[in-house]
Amino acid sequence: MKKNSKKEIKEALKKWEDEVLNPRVKKFNLDKSPTTFYTPISSDSSYFMDKVGFPGQFPFTAGNNPFEFWRAYANFAAKVGYRSDWGGTGRSGKYGGFGTPADYRDYLLKMQSMGRYGGPNIAFDLVTQCGYDSDSSFAEGEVGRVGVAVDSMQDFTVIYEAFTGNLDIDKVPSNFTINAPAAVLIAMYACLAKRRGIPLNKLTGTPQNDILKEFIARGTYIYPPAPSMRMFRDTCVFCCKHMPEFNINSIGGYHIREAGATRVQDLAFSMANGIAYIEAGLEGGLEVDEFAPAFTFNAFGGSMEIYHEIAFQRAARRVWARILRDRFHAKDSKSMQIRQPITAHIGCSSTTLQRPLNNLARAVVGGMAAGMSGGIPGAFPPFDEPLGLGHSQEATQLQQDASRIMIYEAKVTDVCDPWAGSYFMESLTDEIEKDALAELEKIEKMGGAVAAIENGYMPRAVAKSAYERQKKIENQEELVVGVNCFTGEHEIDVSINRVVEATYDPQLMKTAEERQKANLARLKRERNGTAVVSSLRSLKVQAEDKDKNLMPIICECVENDATLQEICDVLREVFGEAQPMKL
Amino acid sequence: MGQDSKIRVLIAKPGLDGHERGAHVVAYGLRDEGFEVIYTGLRQTPEQIVSAAVQEDVDVIGLSILSGAHLSLTKKVMEGLKAKGANDVLVTVGGIIPEEDKKTLEEMGVAGVFTSGSKIKDIAALIRTKLGKNA
Repeated sequence: MKKNSKKEIKEALKKWEDEVLNPRVKKFNLDKSPTTFYTPISSDSSYFMDKVGFPGQFPFTAGNNPFEFWRAYANFAAKVGYRSDWGGTGRSGKYGGFGTPADYRDYLLKMQSMGRYGGPNIAFDLVTQCGYDSDSSFAEGEVGRVGVAVDSMQDFTVIYEAFTGNLDIDKVPSNFTINAPAAVLIAMYACLAKRRGIPLNKLTGTPQNDILKEFIARGTYIYPPAPSMRMFRDTCVFCCKHMPEFNINSIGGYHIREAGATRVQDLAFSMANGIAYIEAGLEGGLEVDEFAPAFTFNAFGGSMEIYHEIAFQRAARRVWARILRDRFHAKDSKSMQIRQPITAHIGCSSTTLQRPLNNLARAVVGGMAAGMSGGIPGAFPPFDEPLGLGHSQEATQLQQDASRIMIYEAKVTDVCDPWAGSYFMESLTDEIEKDALAELEKIEKMGGAVAAIENGYMPRAVAKSAYERQKKIENQEELVVGVNCFTGEHEIDVSINRVVEATYDPQLMKTAEERQKANLARLKRERNGTAVVSSLRSLKVQAEDKDKNLMPIICECVENDATLQEICDVLREVFGEAQPMKL
Repeated sequence: MGQDSKIRVLIAKPGLDGHERGAHVVAYGLRDEGFEVIYTGLRQTPEQIVSAAVQEDVDVIGLSILSGAHLSLTKKVMEGLKAKGANDVLVTVGGIIPEEDKKTLEEMGVAGVFTSGSKIKDIAALIRTKLGKNA
């Protein structure tokens, strides 16, 4: 055997193309080869330390850690039959919520009786997410639908009646999928701790608190982007100073991609948003290493393209690490890490309504990508995702088992960054990084994320990409099994029986709105009206002073039983409201 | 309106649901199919949608709903149209609509229900057929 120089490989490649590849392409009458082959000249491995490095070290391409905490306990978890929603050993429970706070509390207690001990991972209804109360005209038909209704501190307290003793809030983390009114929910959490005599520094968990992606993708905004960022700043400073174990946000590329963004837009836009959040913390007077370690990410987007999704995760870790180190001069390596519970996945928009059991096969592909890019191989989502709201217990069981099969039988997670050094994967990682940085630069030139939302650039770019993808599916440039190919009469339409009891009691769902409105009316009758009015008045005065941190006064409003909408209405008055984007 | 005047479509997002991808895709797609498309943007009440439809003199309303509130929201839009004497406006619904709700929507007078995997071409064809127009 002899060593090859780059020149030799280049010449050999040319010769291979001429003598082997091209004749074969010609033989099959193709314009170009349907496959690609990568060689040492596709990627320069001499920059190993700068580009890949070791797991747990800058630039974190190979992973945040040599192994994540769940991996340390994985074998133990299997032997004791520990259940968690990702098949690992995470402590956060399954994302969920419906009906009134009492309905959801009872559901959680029932889940606990079935061995699901995860912390609250709360989905709020759209009314709550948009800063309205259950008695608002905007609430009609939506109360308790896509999550639980929370109008007041009283409601919040009722949910947490399911979390006491071994599951008290100093022992399990809480996740809140809340953005525009995040400050109010964080205040409620703090207030609950105070009432239970638990020091704030014992609280753990994560609020989504990622308002910028709401403008780009998810739509539950209230105030315009600039004052929304002031609210972010205030929560960031408050959490950093008083709740140091509680994460500040969960920055999502996931929603942006699901709304239609390309992979490159997903990365560029989330990085632009992340930069804006870091700047907000700095503006609040914090040092970068004080708060950046408490930033988390929400897995970015997903797709079925397994190689690209692995490369994406590697590129994302490297890009964020470099931004934090080189631009913000972070010293703490925790500041530079993209902390996220899961990494790659297929994204719910990759699931199909047609022959829905195929979604299990799809989810496994996403789980493989996750397992090979530093995450828990979660086979997300359950196969019945596109059939309507709520996953069946069976679909969830199969999802968990798929994840376990990847961990324990396929041993997917026994190697850290198994693709490191692959000519192909390194070259693809470089390419995604390069394209995303070019797109990020475009946004920076506009003035950053807030400006690129105000001028409509980011949301419109996502809408256009969604349409481009649809066109590709309609003209069969992109193939989706059972949707635009293999739909002929000889295919069997596999039917599935979701003959399971509904995740959430449909009767309770139906009556939730009336019952919650009654709860709210009772609260408004019984609370100390003077205290409410007085704290809301202070909120208004303080909101007008943009240097003021609003968290202490919001905590006071919450403690006095001011409702979520009352608090948001005061801020609407001062900040104005965001306008929906037209095409 | 003559045979060759453009079909006017209002794509609307009733309620608080923020999932806009379907609405965006259908709006762009029908525009490319030669329709005149107006998009309301997020968070419109059924009343706002009905009055926008009447004011803009549209032939079709495409409602996009992924929050599970499709039955009550669609019903309100249908009733609102009737009250304004605009029964001739064709209403289609897109989003996450469970199979068993499709029939209920059709009984309300909805001309077509389009869920995940639908083609723009099919939406356009249904509209043209129902309106008896080729524009």
